[in-house]
Amino acid sequence: MVRGFRSFHPIILLLYYIFAIAGLMLYQHPIFLGLAAATILIINFMLDGGEQLKKWGWMIAIMSVLTLILTPLFNNRGNYILFYFFDRQVMLESVIQGVMIALTLLCIISLFLTFNIVITPDKFVFLFSKFLPQWALLIMLSMRFVPLLRKRLIEIGDVQQVKGLSVKCGPIRSRAKNGMLFLQILLTWSLEESIQTADSMTARGYGIGKRSKYQPFYMKKRDWVSLGFLLATGSFVAFGWWLGDGVLTLLPILEQVLLQGREWFYFILWFVFLAFPIWTEGKEMIKWRYFRHIS
Amino acid sequence: MEILQAHQLSFTYPETTAKALQNINLQVKQGEFVVLCGPSGSGKSTLLRLCKPEIAPHGTLEGRITFQGMPLEELEPMVKAKELGMVFQDPENQIAMDNVMEELIFGMENIGFTTAQMRKKVAEMVNFFGLNYLLDKKTDELSGGQKQLINLASVLLLEPKILLLDEPTSQLDPIAAKEFIHMLQRLNEEFGITIVIVEHRLEELFTIANRVVMLENGAIIHDKTPREMIRKLGTHEKMRNFLPSSSLLYLDFHPDAEPETIPLNVKETRQWLQTESIEQQEEDQTSESEQQPILELREVDYQYTKNSPPVLYNLSLSIYDGEWLAIVGANGTGKTTLLKIIGGILKAQHGTMRFKGKKVKKWDAQKVSYLPQNPKLFFIQDTIKKEYDHLAEHHGIANAEERIQHLLEKFNMKHLQDRHPYDLSGGELQKAALIGTLLVEPAILLIDEPTKGLDPESKKAFGELVSTLVTEGLTVVMVTHDIEFAAAYATRCSMLFQGEITVTEKTRDFFHENTYYTTVMNRVTRNSSVPSVVTLEEARRTWRVQNRS
Repeated sequence: MVRGFRSFHPIILLLYYIFAIAGLMLYQHPIFLGLAAATILIINFMLDGGEQLKKWGWMIAIMSVLTLILTPLFNNRGNYILFYFFDRQVMLESVIQGVMIALTLLCIISLFLTFNIVITPDKFVFLFSKFLPQWALLIMLSMRFVPLLRKRLIEIGDVQQVKGLSVKCGPIRSRAKNGMLFLQILLTWSLEESIQTADSMTARGYGIGKRSKYQPFYMKKRDWVSLGFLLATGSFVAFGWWLGDGVLTLLPILEQVLLQGREWFYFILWFVFLAFPIWTEGKEMIKWRYFRHIS
Repeated sequence: MEILQAHQLSFTYPETTAKALQNINLQVKQGEFVVLCGPSGSGKSTLLRLCKPEIAPHGTLEGRITFQGMPLEELEPMVKAKELGMVFQDPENQIAMDNVMEELIFGMENIGFTTAQMRKKVAEMVNFFGLNYLLDKKTDELSGGQKQLINLASVLLLEPKILLLDEPTSQLDPIAAKEFIHMLQRLNEEFGITIVIVEHRLEELFTIANRVVMLENGAIIHDKTPREMIRKLGTHEKMRNFLPSSSLLYLDFHPDAEPETIPLNVKETRQWLQTESIEQQEEDQTSESEQQPILELREVDYQYTKNSPPVLYNLSLSIYDGEWLAIVGANGTGKTTLLKIIGGILKAQHGTMRFKGKKVKKWDAQKVSYLPQNPKLFFIQDTIKKEYDHLAEHHGIANAEERIQHLLEKFNMKHLQDRHPYDLSGGELQKAALIGTLLVEPAILLIDEPTKGLDPESKKAFGELVSTLVTEGLTVVMVTHDIEFAAAYATRCSMLFQGEITVTEKTRDFFHENTYYTTVMNRVTRNSSVPSVVTLEEARRTWRVQNRS
């Protein structure tokens, strides 16, 4: 979708991710985190139909369950004893703590899955060149070399296999020896070929003066609007944390878990901020679903 | 007006005494299309590189080169980069960037264009070249021909006044090469860009060039129009092989023809042949007795991944003892894949392969050898002699030294045995790799695209060499797009299409039946008043001229 979440300027996207991760770290409250988890899972489904989640789902689940179980076992600070497990008290506070850590982990990992979908390599390089311009060119040149060297190594392996030198079968010693030989020839060969790359770069004026950089992305009106939205909601979220509204106090005395009063305001605000991709992506989905035809 | 001028130019490489170039005087006028040709080592690439100062070879230079009246060394770096455009031989190695868009704007970024200027220029260029569909791709997904077009476009975006090209089509398949040369023709005719090109593939260039300059041993020996050049070179021992076969045919008939009458392309040759009356002498067909195939493939399927379309599907092929089978077909039809399956590099998902009736699970190195498309890959040692010794030791070959020396002698490579493989020329390297493949005395030799990057002379030498090996009993399976080469040397030809071998016939019959996918000579002679032939050699052998009218 041309105008979905992915179409925003990379800086805006980066800002969203920085704020979101900061928010997840700050709002240590099971209900706030539960809401965040639900939102981020929905975002995942909206962006790629849950493809990435399916791939990483097991790992996320195992990690979350492990922290959920292990935290109460190792942490026994608190006032309310729930039960005894092998002569150790299991505290209500530490159970809640476990829930919060598990949810934070789940949220951050699934948020990174969406980061992978949204920040494609070209956007990444763009962001990188914004902050470290002299390194960006080096990175782009090396990015070309990774697949190239891989392809060349496979080619060398194929040809040498028919000659009887292989890294795939035979005793380990000879396999390792052949592997080293292949790498050595890969290096010689690639150095030889890269002289030509250098010539072609020089011929096109590389190194004669200050390079300009092509800017594939520019700030559009909607990017500015979104920037305003993110800054506004983001600062409210930070303010809420400063007031202590999104944080559950565990010690010395456990705060009431259910939300009350002003906390509801920050709860809703937190959702409005975090669901930024849902608003932008959802608008497009609805457009495609219902408004495609002139009736 | 002269745009580029070399005046009394001589050049010596460091630590050598012989001059690589001597007393070169060359004027290139605005809007000209000049071809530099000559045998390997004649100094034509050196001359071209000297015209682009940033990449000029090191050495001592006498005389001077001027660009629009200004000596090259006095030009601003910006002018040198912008106005002298250069495209090199290898499409792959010229590319610096990861994706096509970045590659196209690389030069403009170096010069310091603004984003808005770059967008505008790229838009223009992409529309002119019709490259829209490539713009979002990664550079390593492209074919060789596409890569070379991107390289050309990237240079043209700087708006050069003159375009220097160093064998730009030698690594391309014939169809991509034609497309590339056609593009150069458009640039020259529609925009008046001056073009200086060093090239071996002269057949197509002769019809579009204004001038052909021939170098030999570092000196210009001819500087003529294409037709006059053909007339001159028709008797030159080495350069003869570079000429279009249709022109050579004409010269056979009219050894002292006027240059203006020499036909350059198929159309002109057909018109000329209408005036000739020729009868064909029957060749005695050597009828071959029924043979057992040495290698038999049955119902082979191959897919790279489970979800990709099959590259080979239900392919069956028989290879007989002592033949040279050429498998031809367009790019991406799976020719190399097939060769890799035969060589045991890839494993087919379905089907069987039988060697002399026995099912093959894994090859012994003694039975099959593989000469790769890039013969550099064959070598992993410092010198070619060390490589042979290593191979001999690895396979435990008896009388290894004797055999190596014998092969070196036979291929006339003895003087090169202590060289690093990368220091050899294309033709020498190919021969060196060929010796390596023959050391183990294979029953079957697999050759992948052997003519890539070879000049016509080395091509001919290689073809004749392998031909003698075949008559001595070696079985050769070769994949190629070079149909002229296949027609000249292979004994049988197979066409690969949609993952299957659609037809396998004796070379002559194979090309004889084809209308479009066939040699120049066949296109010249089919359905005409003269007996149709497939190669120039065949015409020389079988045609009997009746009367000349």
